[in-house]
Amino acid sequence: MRKFLAIVACKLGRLVGRAVGKGSSLPGKVALKICPDILSRVKLPQHIIAVTGSNGKTSTVEMIAAVLRADGRRVIYNQEGSNQIEGVTTLILTHADLRGRVGADVLLIESDERYAAHTFRYFHPTVFVITNLYRDQLTRNGHPRWVYKALLGAIHDDTTLILNGDDPLSSCFGRGREKVRYFGLGPCDFDTAEPTGAYHDGKYCPVCYAPMTYDYVHFNHIGAFRCTGCGHHKPATDYTATALDLKEGRMTLDGKTEIHLAFSSIYHVYNILAAYAACRTAGVAADTVARTVDRYVLKNGRMQTFRLGRHHGTLLTSKHENSIAYDTNLRYIRQSAAPCSVMVIVDAVSRKYFTSETSWLWDIDFDLLCAPQIQHVYLAGRYCNDLSQRFSFTALDPARWSVHPDIAGAAEAVKASGEEEVYVVTCFSDREKLLALTEKEG
Amino acid sequence: MEIRLIHLCPDLMNLYGSYANVRVLSRYLETCGCTVTVETAAAGEALSLAGADFLFLGAGTEDAAVYAAGALSPLFPQLRSAAEDGMAMLFAGTAMDLLGGSLTDETGKTVAGAEIGAFNTTYTTRRITGDVYGHTDLFAPAVVGFMNKCSRTEGVDVPFLTALDMGAGNTGPGTPEGFRRGSLIASQLTGPILVKNPALLQWMAGAILARRGAEAALPPVPEAAQKGWAVTEEQLRLRWQERK
Repeated sequence: MRKFLAIVACKLGRLVGRAVGKGSSLPGKVALKICPDILSRVKLPQHIIAVTGSNGKTSTVEMIAAVLRADGRRVIYNQEGSNQIEGVTTLILTHADLRGRVGADVLLIESDERYAAHTFRYFHPTVFVITNLYRDQLTRNGHPRWVYKALLGAIHDDTTLILNGDDPLSSCFGRGREKVRYFGLGPCDFDTAEPTGAYHDGKYCPVCYAPMTYDYVHFNHIGAFRCTGCGHHKPATDYTATALDLKEGRMTLDGKTEIHLAFSSIYHVYNILAAYAACRTAGVAADTVARTVDRYVLKNGRMQTFRLGRHHGTLLTSKHENSIAYDTNLRYIRQSAAPCSVMVIVDAVSRKYFTSETSWLWDIDFDLLCAPQIQHVYLAGRYCNDLSQRFSFTALDPARWSVHPDIAGAAEAVKASGEEEVYVVTCFSDREKLLALTEKEG
Repeated sequence: MEIRLIHLCPDLMNLYGSYANVRVLSRYLETCGCTVTVETAAAGEALSLAGADFLFLGAGTEDAAVYAAGALSPLFPQLRSAAEDGMAMLFAGTAMDLLGGSLTDETGKTVAGAEIGAFNTTYTTRRITGDVYGHTDLFAPAVVGFMNKCSRTEGVDVPFLTALDMGAGNTGPGTPEGFRRGSLIASQLTGPILVKNPALLQWMAGAILARRGAEAALPPVPEAAQKGWAVTEEQLRLRWQERK
């Protein structure tokens, strides 16, 4: 009876929520109150694919869903991104009949990395993709190693893990495990010999703390690593991208299939790789995956274009408190050939919780903005002084950046000068404050 | 005046922008007219503290802190002597845990600390995070920062923050936070505590210069540092008042 009530309550709650435009967590929360073990009482699809990690979850899940649907499979997934147990419960019960049978071929779950063990208490994924473990939202996640330990509790012996072989930490999940496959990126022309960035999480082995060496590094500490102590190293990859050309926007998957990138970012490359690995593991033909992800434009709205006075603008959503997300977008801007300006906004650190914590600014490699085509950098928002302090320790000429406590003031300053492209780097919490002052394009 | 700063384990213990403390202190001492050199030493590297003016160890993961406690143990006698000699030091985040008698991880494994303080730290599986608004006896302005730890520290005799209006201290919410011995300050407040708190930056620089016999007035901190602190102080104070 409790199971029936929980399903009905969830379905009704979802209907009402959709009508009033509310989030997708609450119905699941109510269902879990009524029947705490509801997820053990439902009949789930045979294939359950989960995706977790610090960065790239949403994009990877979106592409996996697109591929599986192109392959003719019925897929349900938490499209709205509610990725803790409440949101997952809403997803499952909304798509279940009143007896608890979920009508889909594949249940695809974007899972919060820190709370995955909670979500997968009563069922476990058949395939579990861990995209990476980086510094992300340290105010709630502590640090990557803390998240690593939390995730260990979510991994079932029967689950096939799909891991980023280029990430020294998340690849540790596969040590001594049979059911594991790795994806990775081969050498690229932009590689460095040593880790880059404002900090060096890959300097020491995550297993034994001996120094690590690298054959090549794609970005930060992601690349071909080897521990000088215990020998922990980049594994042989089962799914591999090669011949990556970010300028031309293309790469080759498994030495056979050329893919064109709609967004020339290494971040996007890894998301495609993770999606490719998951879909191939789920039995989708390589050609089907390639056809779908080729020139795939993400629909999650993290990149938006606009006009601001005489300027064309591009907003690159970067999660605050996530330095690699910032670095990736700064690297993207650095690749642009045409003259441009950049606006960095830190007004509210999070849209979900209050904090004045800004130490993460020191983890971002703002020196990436030292490039001749970047004409000016506007630092905006409540925490512009924290940004200013951080920028004072970069190699940027102080005459080329300015501080604007008021976002509208920063926008006016942009409008008053030139007509170059403007890139805006900020978080979900702050982006609408700027977009509201612009003419949106898409 | 030539000033020698030592940054211990700059990569192993560098969570939450810890390295910024050394950068901002170094620059401020330069504005005081000093010539500053920064030496770094990884865990296990031989190091002499003779002639050093300041030592810094930043925040690391709990596992890294336990590892560092073992790797740095040969340095502990020198650290104790330097602390007794009044050398200025800053231990941020989990680095503080190395200064007590022992450090016990969540599995029960215990390593010895430097025994500069008579306290013991135990790591737990529960993380404590949140903004902190507190007060120290060292200067008037409030100290602001963020707590991100999973530990309980018992037995601190002289804390750095004697009162907390908001946030968790050594043994729980509202309790005194950190540790102080002369010019040595340790605080679980993570990250660039000297960047966020210009009064602490000036206090620390003053301690370094006083030990070298310099008595000139300290120059003001950069305007952005003062304004940045003021914004955070206001935000946290308002938050605290809302909660009261």
